[in-house]
Amino acid sequence: MKQFVSFIMKEARHILRDGRTMLILFGMPVVLMLIFGFAISTDVRNVRTIVVTSHMDHRTSQSVQRLAASEYFTLVSTVATPVEAERMIRHQQADMAVVFEADYASGRGGVQFIVDGCDPNMAQQWTAYAQQVIAGGLPSMISTRLLYNPQMRSAYNFVPAIMGMLLMLICAMMTSISIVREKERGTMEVLLVSPVRPFMVIVAKAVPYLVLAFVILASILLMSRFVLDVPLEGSLLWIVIVSGIYILLALSLGLLISNIAQSQLVALLMSAMVLLMPIVMLSGMLFPVESMPTPLQWLSAIVPPRYYIQAMRKLMIMGVGIREVAREVAILSAMTVLLLSVALAKFKNRLE
Amino acid sequence: MNAIEVSHISKSYGKVKALQDVSFTVPQGEVFGLIGPDGAGKTSLYRILCTLLLPDEGQASVDGFDVLKDMRAIRRRVGYMPGRFSLYQDLTVEENLQFFATLFGTTVDAGYDSIRAIYSQIEPFRNRKAGALSGGMKQKLALSCALVHQPSVLFLDEPTTGVDPVSRKELWDMLEILRERQITIVASTPYLDEVRRCERVAFLDQGCLRGIGTPDDILTQFADVFNPPPLKRSEAVKSEGMKSEAESPYVIEVSHLVKAFGTFHAVDDISFKVRKGEIFGFLGANGAGKTTAMHMLTGLNQPTSGTGRVVGYDISTEHEQIKRHIGYMSQKFSLYEDLTVAENIRLFAGIYGMKDREISVKTDELLRRLKFEEHKDDLVSSLPLGWKQKLAFSVSIFHEPGIVFLDEPTGGVDPATRRQFWELIYDAAHRGITVFVTTHYMDEAEYCDRISIMVDGKIKAIGTPDELKQTYGQEDMDHVFTLLAREAKRSSD
Amino acid sequence: MLKHLIRKEFLQIRRNSFLPRLIVMFPIMIMCIMPWVMNQEVKNIRVVVVDTDRTPSSQRLVHQIEASRYFLFQGQAPSYSEAMRQIEHSQADVILEVRDGRVLIAANAVNGTKGAIGSSYLSQIVMSSSGSRLSPSSVLTLYNKEQSYKRFMIPALLAIVVMLMCGFLPALNIVSEKESGTIEQINVTPVSKFSFILAKLIPYWVIALFVITVCLLLSWLIYGITCQGPLLLVYLLAMLLALFFSSFGLLISNYSETLQQAIFVMWFFVVCLLLLSGLFTPVRSMPDWSYLTTYVNPMHYFIDAIRTVFLRGGGLSSIAHQVLALALIGIIMSAWAVQSYKKNS
Repeated sequence: MKQFVSFIMKEARHILRDGRTMLILFGMPVVLMLIFGFAISTDVRNVRTIVVTSHMDHRTSQSVQRLAASEYFTLVSTVATPVEAERMIRHQQADMAVVFEADYASGRGGVQFIVDGCDPNMAQQWTAYAQQVIAGGLPSMISTRLLYNPQMRSAYNFVPAIMGMLLMLICAMMTSISIVREKERGTMEVLLVSPVRPFMVIVAKAVPYLVLAFVILASILLMSRFVLDVPLEGSLLWIVIVSGIYILLALSLGLLISNIAQSQLVALLMSAMVLLMPIVMLSGMLFPVESMPTPLQWLSAIVPPRYYIQAMRKLMIMGVGIREVAREVAILSAMTVLLLSVALAKFKNRLE
Repeated sequence: MNAIEVSHISKSYGKVKALQDVSFTVPQGEVFGLIGPDGAGKTSLYRILCTLLLPDEGQASVDGFDVLKDMRAIRRRVGYMPGRFSLYQDLTVEENLQFFATLFGTTVDAGYDSIRAIYSQIEPFRNRKAGALSGGMKQKLALSCALVHQPSVLFLDEPTTGVDPVSRKELWDMLEILRERQITIVASTPYLDEVRRCERVAFLDQGCLRGIGTPDDILTQFADVFNPPPLKRSEAVKSEGMKSEAESPYVIEVSHLVKAFGTFHAVDDISFKVRKGEIFGFLGANGAGKTTAMHMLTGLNQPTSGTGRVVGYDISTEHEQIKRHIGYMSQKFSLYEDLTVAENIRLFAGIYGMKDREISVKTDELLRRLKFEEHKDDLVSSLPLGWKQKLAFSVSIFHEPGIVFLDEPTGGVDPATRRQFWELIYDAAHRGITVFVTTHYMDEAEYCDRISIMVDGKIKAIGTPDELKQTYGQEDMDHVFTLLAREAKRSSD
Repeated sequence: MLKHLIRKEFLQIRRNSFLPRLIVMFPIMIMCIMPWVMNQEVKNIRVVVVDTDRTPSSQRLVHQIEASRYFLFQGQAPSYSEAMRQIEHSQADVILEVRDGRVLIAANAVNGTKGAIGSSYLSQIVMSSSGSRLSPSSVLTLYNKEQSYKRFMIPALLAIVVMLMCGFLPALNIVSEKESGTIEQINVTPVSKFSFILAKLIPYWVIALFVITVCLLLSWLIYGITCQGPLLLVYLLAMLLALFFSSFGLLISNYSETLQQAIFVMWFFVVCLLLLSGLFTPVRSMPDWSYLTTYVNPMHYFIDAIRTVFLRGGGLSSIAHQVLALALIGIIMSAWAVQSYKKNS
C-alpha cells in the first residue's frame, strides 16, 4: 500500500512539475468554453447587404427601412444594377444583394435576392431572414418555439462535445505517453524487476490521470453553469456516473496504445490519428452524423465519444432521465469492458 | 549453492544473434565480472536473468528459481541497474531515492549505510532536479537508487561509465561490503582496474562466451583486447613538438573565469593557458565543472565573469568567430544517427564552407585511413560504439580546426579501441591541432602533454603528468587524482 | 552551407520510417474522407405533427410536409406531450402543432443551426399553404449554385492540411534534435541562426507544395471541383500560410523542452486559430471583441482569400490586402523564430 501511495505521489509530481502542460490542460477547457460560448456563433448577424433599385419609391424605401432597422442586416450601399452588386460580392465587399424590381411599388413586381452561396447554410438562412423582414415578420397565426436553447447558443451544442474531446485526450493521450516515456527512458525495466506487481504499476499510473480528468470535468461543468449559463437540466449524479464510465474507457484506450507504441512520438501520433481525428470528425461534435454517407455512419458507430456526446447532450441540455439514454450508456459500458479486458490481456510483464 | 546457473542460453533479434549457447554458473556470494565490447550481448543476458526477456533456447536459474517459470519469485530477490538507467529527470535527487527505496520495500534511512559512500557526495544537491545534474552525478544517483535495497542477487550493467576514478573505487569498496553479506554480484565494466576486483570474469564477444576464469587469466588470454602495448608518441615528433611548444603561441588563455547558476558556482575562478599543438588533459571529479568550462570555451555558454580568449577571439563577445576555428565532440554522441557515414562527413564539412570537390577527395582519404571504406554508406546508427567515436572525432577535425575540444570521448569502450582512438589524437596533434580533452581514464591522462585537475569548480593542479607525480610524490596519475579529489572533498565538508 | 543543411533535412525526412508515408497518405486520406464528413447540410429533419383541428386546411398542410424533400414525416402524435417524448427519445427534431387555427412550431435547438433552419423551412411551408400574402420573390445564388458543402469545405481542407503538415512536423523537429543531443554539435559550428532556421523551413515549403498539388488533383478527380480563379494564387496563399505555420512550429519547438510540451502548445494554438478563423462559422456573426482577433489571425486571412479565389474566382486585386497581411504575419513570425533560437546562452 505504501508503495502504491508513493507511486501515485511520484506520478502526481511528474504532472505538476510540467507547468506548461498543466497550463494547457486547464487552459484548454477554459479557452474552448469561452470560444464556443462567446466568441463564435452561427447567428445571422451583420450581413452586409446591398440594395439594388432604380428608383426609390415609398414602398421600396419602407422595405429598405425594415432591412436597415433589423439587427440581422447592415446596408453597405445602394446601387442601380445587379451587375454592380455582383461585382461587389465578388470582391467581398458584401454578402447579399436585395434587388427590388422596377414595378415593385405597384405590388406586381417582386424581390430578387442575390446571395453569396459559398456557405450553403448561411446563404439559406440569410434569404429566409430577409424574406421575413421584408414581409414584416411572420404572420401572427404562426408561433415558433426553440426548445432547450431559445437563444440558439452554440455553447449548448458544444459543451458536451468539448467534454467528450478533452476527457478522451487527457486520459488516453497522457496515460499512454507517460507509460511509453518510462519504456523509452529505461525506468520501466527497473519498475518491472522491482517486487511491485506490474499490474499495480499500471493502476498507479492511471489514478492521477483519473483524478485530473474528474477535476477537469468539474471545472467544465462549473464553467458551463456559471459562466456560460448553460443549464444543467439533468441529474448531476448521472452526468458524473456516465462520465466516469467514459473516463474508464479512455484510460483503457490509453493503456492499449501504450502497449503497442514503443516511443513517445509514436504514442503521440497514434493518439492524434486514432483518437483526435475521429473524435473531432466522426463523433458528431462539429458535423452531424446523420448528414454523412452511410459507410462513414457505420464507421462512426465504433467511435466511443459519439455515444458519450449524445448522452451528455440529452442529460445535460435536454434534461431527460437516465432511461432515455439507456442505449448510449449500455454501448459505452460494453465498449469499456471490452477495451479494458483487451488492454489487460495484452499487458506484458516482460520487455518486447 | 550456485546463485546463478545459465545453461545453453541463446537469443536472437531477427537475424542478429545476441547470445549463442552461453553457459556458466556463479556461486553464491561471488563478485562476477561480465566483460566484452559494445554489442557483445551483455544487456540481453542481464535481461534474461532478470526475467525481462525470454530466451529462445536454454535454461537459467537465479537463486534457485527458474527464469521461465518463477518470474515473481525472482523479481522479489534481484536488484538490477540497467546500462542506461535513467532517473526521473523532473524529480529531485531525494525524491528519486525515496521513490526507489519505497519501490523495493525499504526506506532511505534503512538503506542509508549501504549507499553512504556515494550518496553523501550528491546529498548537498538533494533538492535539485535529477535532470539538472551532470552526467557523472546522475550515474552516482542511479547507483544509489539501485543499491538502496539489498537483494540476494545484484545485476549491474556498466554502472561506472562516466564516473570519476575516486567514486569508482568507493563503489567497488561498497560492493565488497555487500559481498561479505553473501550477496551475489554480477557487474560489467570497461575499466581494467574494476575487472581486477572481480573474483571471476567471463568474456563475451558477439554473443559467444569466449572465456571464463580469474581476471588475470582472462586479461592475459585476451591481451590483444585488454592489454594493448602502451602508446608511445614517436620520440622525434615529441621532442620537436616540445621544442616548438616552448615558443609556440597560446591558443587558449583563460583568466578568472566564473560561471554561476544562481548562488551555485559551477566554475569558480579558473585561469590557465594552453599552447598551440599541445594535448591538454582537463581532468576532474564528476560535477567539478569540466563540461560547463568547456561550454564557455566553445561559445555555447556566456561566462558570468572573467575573460578568456580562444584562437585569439574573446569568448564572451566573439563566440561565433571562435566556432569557425574549433572542432567539438560532445559527451552525448553527436553525429546524426539517421544519416550515413559519408552524409555526416559531407554535412559537417559543408557547414564549415568546404568545397564539394575537396570534401569528396578528403572523405575518401579519411575513410581509407580509418579502413572504413566499405561502411561509407552505412547508417551511423548501425555502427558499433567504438567506430562511432572514431568517426565523430574524425569529423570534428575534418575542417582542420586550430583546436578540437573532446568531452569524455572514449566512454564505455574496451582498452584496445581506446588505444586506437588515441592514435588518432596523436595524429591530429602531429598536424598541429591543439587537443583539449576531458577523460576519466587515468591511463589516458598519462598520454597528455599537460593536464589540469579540477575539483569543486577550481583548478587544483596543473602541469605535465611527470611534474604532478613528482610534486605529489605518487607513482601514477591515478593516485595523484585520488589524492587531490579526496583532499578537496575533506576541505569542502 | 545552406545547401548542405537542406540536404540533411531532406535525408532525415526520407530516412524516417513514418514521415514519408504520412506526407503522402495524409492529404489523400483527408481529401477522400473529409469532404463527406464536413457536411453541415441540414436535411432529413424529422417532423412529428400534432393536428388537433383536423380541418381540411390543416390536413392540406400535413400533406405538404409529407411531400417536402426537407422533412422526414414521422407521423402524427395524439398530443403535444406525446410529441415531446419523441423529441426526448431523439425520434423527432421538430413538432408542428395545429390548434384552433393557430400553428406552433417547436424545434429541438440543442444544435442551433439545425433548429433554426428546420423551423424556418417549416414556417415557409405553413405560410405558403395558408396562402399568406407575400411579395413574389426569387433567389439567385452565386458561386456555389448547387449549394454543395464539399465545394465550400475543400478550400478549408487545404488550410487544414497545410496547417497540420507544416505546423506539427517542424514543432517536433527541433525538440527531437534537442533530445538526441545533435543540436549541441550544430551550436558549436559557425552555422548562422538564419541559415539554420531557413534550412529547416525550406523542406516544409516543398512538402506544402506537394500536398497542395495532391489535394487540388484529388478534388478535381474525385469531386470534379476545380479552382475558379488563377491557380497560381492558390499556391501563393498556401506558401504564405506554410511560412507562417512552419515558423510558428519552429518557434514553439525553440521554447519547448519535451515533445509532449511542443505538441500540446502547438495543438492549443492551432485549435484557437482554427475556430476563430471563420472556417466553420461566419466571422461576421462574432461579437465585436472576438471579431477583433481575426485581424491578427493568419488563418482568417487565408480562409477569406482562398474562398474568394477558389469559389468566387477572384483575382489578385480582390485579395491583395489578405496577401499582404499573411506575408507580414509570416515574416514577423519567421524573424521571431530566428531570434528565439539561441546558439549561445
